[in-house]
Amino acid sequence: MSEKPIKGQTKEEHCETEVKKRPAVHIFPEWCKGCGICVAFCPKQVLEMGKDQKAHVVHPEKCIECALCARRCPEFAVFVSGDSIKESKKKNGGEK
Amino acid sequence: MSARLPYAYRYLRAKKKFPHVWCPGCGIGIVMGSIIRAIDSLGWELDDILMVSGIGCTSRMPVYVDFNTLHTTHGRALAFGTGAKMANPNLKVLAVMGDGDSMAIGGNHIIHASRRNMDITAIIVNNNNYGMTGGQFSPTTPRGAKTSTTPYGMIEPDFDICKLTEAAGANFVARGDVYHVVELDGIIKKAMSGSGFRVVEALAPCPTNFGRANRQGDAVNMMELLRDNTINIAQADKLPREKTEGKIVRGIFADKNETGYIEIYRKLCDRVSSGVKK
Repeated sequence: MSEKPIKGQTKEEHCETEVKKRPAVHIFPEWCKGCGICVAFCPKQVLEMGKDQKAHVVHPEKCIECALCARRCPEFAVFVSGDSIKESKKKNGGEK
Repeated sequence: MSARLPYAYRYLRAKKKFPHVWCPGCGIGIVMGSIIRAIDSLGWELDDILMVSGIGCTSRMPVYVDFNTLHTTHGRALAFGTGAKMANPNLKVLAVMGDGDSMAIGGNHIIHASRRNMDITAIIVNNNNYGMTGGQFSPTTPRGAKTSTTPYGMIEPDFDICKLTEAAGANFVARGDVYHVVELDGIIKKAMSGSGFRVVEALAPCPTNFGRANRQGDAVNMMELLRDNTINIAQADKLPREKTEGKIVRGIFADKNETGYIEIYRKLCDRVSSGVKK
């Protein structure tokens, strides 16, 4: 963490904002076959097709982490580091 | 951010078998994702699950998942699944089949699995043709649709998988599609958590064969067609008949609580082994 916390902000709040800044959507280019489903049905136009016929994250700041791209990706090439993953990790960690 | 793998990848044979063989935009991958999310939310152990399949595009699915898997002969997924379930009733058996696999070649098996109420979840991916062999017509090809073996349009009427299995006695019958993927997730989860024979029909696009033959455009256009041409059962009941005509109804059609075959068989075994004469 390179930046110093803003005045009046606790350390936890600072960490949270740092987490939010990270891009939530990730694409594995090796698995993407360029069908365009994630790009077409993203409600916030976060993704775009590149010249290499693969999806690219162009506006990560707009992402609302609805994970519809990850759910609709037939190639398992998109994933969203949102709540669903955190929840699932927490749940499985508790069970094991 | 380090390469933290998403939750779905724990259930996949990601390092050996990916990227998969399905065409770009094929809906089978989305259905597979739904199945994995359902299993994840139910918290099942991977070793307790058996995924059994026949031959076809959909039946490639067990290759990519890290459960116990069984890839069998054409149309016989339910027959092998029945045997596995009888041998080890603790297994949670999932039979994944295509429309041709389940309705044409394995048509008899699905009727009798429904009649017996065998404790299996059957997930039928319906893409309206035989995709793997070049887009021939299948029993679920709609009337008038073009395929490589019906170039002037299909003249036969199509099977309604949900009506057929419901009439044959399945405990749970539902239809979803890959555009409404959140709804499909819920349907598959509900199907898996029940008992008896449970059928989920998942409508999926086949852009390479069916879409090309019928000039339905690419994968995105076919997903839009699914969005526009299907209607939820709750909405369909409210709307007048003119507005729902020609649309495919999706939702849960049957949700009975009949005793499954395994339970009845176990009771019989207990009765006989306790020395009761006939």
